[in-house]
Amino acid sequence: MLRFVVFRLLQSLVALAILSVVVFILARATGDPLHMILPMNASEEDYANARQYLGLDRPYVEQYLSFVGRAVIGDFGNSIRARRPVIELLQARLPYSLKLAAFAMVVSLALAFPLGVMAAVHKGTGVDRAAQIVAILGQSLPTFWVSIVLVEFVAGRLQWLPAGGADSLASYVLPGFTLGWFVVAGMMRLLRSGMLEVLDSEYVKLARLKGVAEHRVVWVHALKNALIPVVTFAGIYFAILVTTAIVVETVFAWPGLGRLAYDGITSRDFPVIQAVVLTTAAIVAAVNLGVDCLYALIDPRIRYGR
Amino acid sequence: MSVVVLPETAAAPVPAARRRRWPVVSIGIIVVFVLVALLAPLLSLADPYEQALRLRFRPPVWEDRGSWAHPLGTDRLGRDLLTRIVWGSRVSLAVGACAVLLASTIGAAVGLVAGYYGGRVDATLMRVTDATLSFPVILLALILAVTVGPSFGNVVIAISVILWARYARVVRGQVLTLMTLDFIAQARIAGAGAWRIITRHLLPNTLNTLVVLITLQVGYVIIVEASLSFLGAGIPPPTPAWGSMIAEGRDFVTSAWWVSFFPGLAILLVVLAFNLLGDWLRDTLDPKLRQL
Amino acid sequence: MKTTTRIIMLSLLALAAAASPARAQSKSELTVALSSFSAETLDPALQGHNVKYYLSLMFDYLVGVTPDGQPSQAGGLATKWEPSADHKRWTFHLRKGVKFHDGTEMTSEDVKFSLQRATSKRSTTGYAGPLRTLIADIETPAPDRIVIVLKEPTLIIPTYLSRSLSTEGMVLPKKYIEANGDDVFARKPVGTGPYKFVEQAVGSHIKLTAVDNHWRIGVPKYKNVTFRLVSEETTRIALLRRGEVDVADISRERVKELEKEGFPIHMRKEEAIIHAWWILGPEGRTPPTKDKRVREALNLAIDRNEIAQSIFGGYAEPAVIPMGLTWAFKDVGFKVTPDMAYAYDPARAKKLLAEAGLASGFTLDVYAFQLPGFAEGKAFAEAIAGYWEKIGVKSKLIPVDYPAFRKMWVDRKAPGAVGYYNIANRDWIGAYALLEKQGYTPSKLNDTVNDPEIDGMIAQVMRQTDREKINALMRNIFTRLRSEHHGLPVVYVHSPYATSKTLGKYNPGTVMYDLFIDELARR
Repeated sequence: MLRFVVFRLLQSLVALAILSVVVFILARATGDPLHMILPMNASEEDYANARQYLGLDRPYVEQYLSFVGRAVIGDFGNSIRARRPVIELLQARLPYSLKLAAFAMVVSLALAFPLGVMAAVHKGTGVDRAAQIVAILGQSLPTFWVSIVLVEFVAGRLQWLPAGGADSLASYVLPGFTLGWFVVAGMMRLLRSGMLEVLDSEYVKLARLKGVAEHRVVWVHALKNALIPVVTFAGIYFAILVTTAIVVETVFAWPGLGRLAYDGITSRDFPVIQAVVLTTAAIVAAVNLGVDCLYALIDPRIRYGR
Repeated sequence: MSVVVLPETAAAPVPAARRRRWPVVSIGIIVVFVLVALLAPLLSLADPYEQALRLRFRPPVWEDRGSWAHPLGTDRLGRDLLTRIVWGSRVSLAVGACAVLLASTIGAAVGLVAGYYGGRVDATLMRVTDATLSFPVILLALILAVTVGPSFGNVVIAISVILWARYARVVRGQVLTLMTLDFIAQARIAGAGAWRIITRHLLPNTLNTLVVLITLQVGYVIIVEASLSFLGAGIPPPTPAWGSMIAEGRDFVTSAWWVSFFPGLAILLVVLAFNLLGDWLRDTLDPKLRQL
Repeated sequence: MKTTTRIIMLSLLALAAAASPARAQSKSELTVALSSFSAETLDPALQGHNVKYYLSLMFDYLVGVTPDGQPSQAGGLATKWEPSADHKRWTFHLRKGVKFHDGTEMTSEDVKFSLQRATSKRSTTGYAGPLRTLIADIETPAPDRIVIVLKEPTLIIPTYLSRSLSTEGMVLPKKYIEANGDDVFARKPVGTGPYKFVEQAVGSHIKLTAVDNHWRIGVPKYKNVTFRLVSEETTRIALLRRGEVDVADISRERVKELEKEGFPIHMRKEEAIIHAWWILGPEGRTPPTKDKRVREALNLAIDRNEIAQSIFGGYAEPAVIPMGLTWAFKDVGFKVTPDMAYAYDPARAKKLLAEAGLASGFTLDVYAFQLPGFAEGKAFAEAIAGYWEKIGVKSKLIPVDYPAFRKMWVDRKAPGAVGYYNIANRDWIGAYALLEKQGYTPSKLNDTVNDPEIDGMIAQVMRQTDREKINALMRNIFTRLRSEHHGLPVVYVHSPYATSKTLGKYNPGTVMYDLFIDELARR
């Protein structure tokens, strides 16, 4: 098992190394950050000064090596726009991203459970279809549209919940719901098909024959077994939530990583772009690693399969 | 619940499942939109680019200031919404179709090769796949948009450059399983080459999964394109695309609700239809496929 | 199943209760929501785009201005200033007893240090370049007196160091910066302004707290002021409705709706001119817009009234003079006569194109982007492109974001293509500063005009110290910009700011990128 974990860890590091080259090139392809920070009347001399000051006049290879060399020890350099260490920005943003993703996870689980179970129990009926549609609706509307409608009506008109910021628990509700609803469909599908499999199994039939009450069959025996795939995929969904929150963060003025990346891209802030992409990639890699290890624990064949 | 009624409750869902009615509504919606998209030039509607600032924000026909000249109203530049939605269906469906087809072709090829050859080839391709999967789609599209400017082609490229990795993963997984089966070994013994085994034996056996994934992801791509429009990196104006139409109309949710509502409805219907169809296909073709 | 549902319902209810509607804002807090913070650095020398909404609360300027942009001896650290007879030595007399937030006293050494820092190589402020070439020496004969020695006689010094332009005139603590370094200063800035720095969350908010007593506004009315970055319009308005925000910039589209609900709207009248132009090539103008008739035709094809009414919701007036800043018109006595206005005349536009040998039209690239304070940017670009289509000019919209456009502009990679900007309105010196940037061939990168005659007049203005002669030169520059059609002046826009219903009287002033929140805090 230890060998497997070390092996997978090495694989993730290789993937991150590939990504570091890609993001380094892509960030520089976006253009010149100086156009954003220098005034309109800057002369060619001003541009040269600033370039030298920011270290952007060095050869690309040197810039890349210094970026990777320092990134390994958690130093992503200074933000060109905000003029402060990128790691400070990450430290300020990452917790908010993680908290929002966690809240969205709770929301989506809270929606996916009743929907998935209802759909499985009433398979093929109108209830099943209705549950599926409710779940899929979240995936069928652009999140920014859902967010804006919620901000306009629930926050602005009805004034039930805060419209933006991350000041109180209540301010998690709208962004968390928007984000959570988006992944309900995926979770609910997992649960539904898992439940169907289990409900069809000898094990459940036996439980029924033994006279176990139907709601106990469904909620205890079947659900327990259908949970395994959901738990393993929950990690992956969590990673998806962290990395796709950019739209929701924009609408709800949420101080998370996505918005940091967006600002980084629009202001050609290379160090910020690099840092956010690598950080989110590391999160995804860590989650995948965890999921794989979990799988390997459950099903030893996988250790050899890969 | 008593033991006596058990056979009924246990048996009842099964025949329904076996019968599996076709998802007529979903297919109907998709067919209608595809037809509208294909026939848009023949529908002899107004020019989707024709602006008339004096006619801006006309409401739909059933509202007070509405008229039959603009059945669904006009947008902020006075362009006819119905016309733009019709023409927009071409763009949005085309983005969905192109991105998904491109991604699935690359992804399937990578997955087949990785799964068939295994070893170093597999390891290399899968590391690239991992790296790709960990790059958020939206960030890549944003970077491309500010680098070379947003355009139809760039949106398709940005999305498929990331999306292929999912296909690669799933296909590779299936190929690994198939490779352990007897018929591949038999084909080898019979002297079949790599190309033949991949195209004749492996690919056909992954097609079901591919079809399910493709159907499910058309909707996803349309939604991603809309999100990109919101961030200014989608299909650029003045081209009518549903995503950018909603994004443009978002500041008028209260004053001119129709500007964002109708394109939103179009997206909702199409994406919902593709998702429901995809779910149905999965239940029918490949019940084991869980993710996505 | 029922239990789960109940648990979900209960937790949702609990959350809703925790978020009880619109908590009442305590009077001692003021929150300002803005759609853009621009560069989010707190070091005035690193603020390239002159955004001083929050900086002007933390720092005092050498030369203060009234909210309407007039130099004021009561609003800055200099109580009085005068030039020598040859206008090459400007003496500023400083206010006594002013203390920085760290307790040290402000002296002429601090002013000298700040000015040197603002014109240093590292500085990215708006007018570091012109000041660097102009200033020969800075003398500090007494702690309350500073003399700026210039290489050329000029009148522009007080304005360039005032609150009406960029951040060069902000006075910074010499000792604090020398002792702690630039990075510490940028993170924990110390100034002499009515509000002290508390915390900054980049991309989210900046919190300030009041000093006990300030020479300019007395005891500040609000204990804390928070600036929140909220890029989405709908969200800013929802925050305002919920009372979580007291001041917010809003789009012109939503003014009527908020007015109807009783929110006071404060208009900054003619805050900016929306001005479009053709990017120059490496050697200046390129065909077809090298032809004056084509430039006129493209101007005549645009219906400015319709744009003002529709794209800008009626909160705009047609503009007439390229780069024509109306506040400068008053200063230099320039009159806009009715015959100067560009009529909406597509027929004549077509005729002019035919005369220029372009009867069959031509292709024109139009860059489309949004800018802070100009959210209508893309719709505007679409609209002008639509008008040009109507006279047979095939207009290709190229959506970019501003930095990408700016690169095309200063690199001269797309000669003849159209770009635009919302140029903040300002007085004659401000207008001069603008022309020196964007209408003056020697300024190279940013030039949009390339006209030797105009270059000659601009060069004279800086050295001229006779106001009458300056006024005449400026009038001639404006006249020539119009007669040569050196650009596409489209509209002057009014910019709305909404405030909470309880905020009371507020004058956001007319100074660019400044909202005079400190005036709001005056008791």
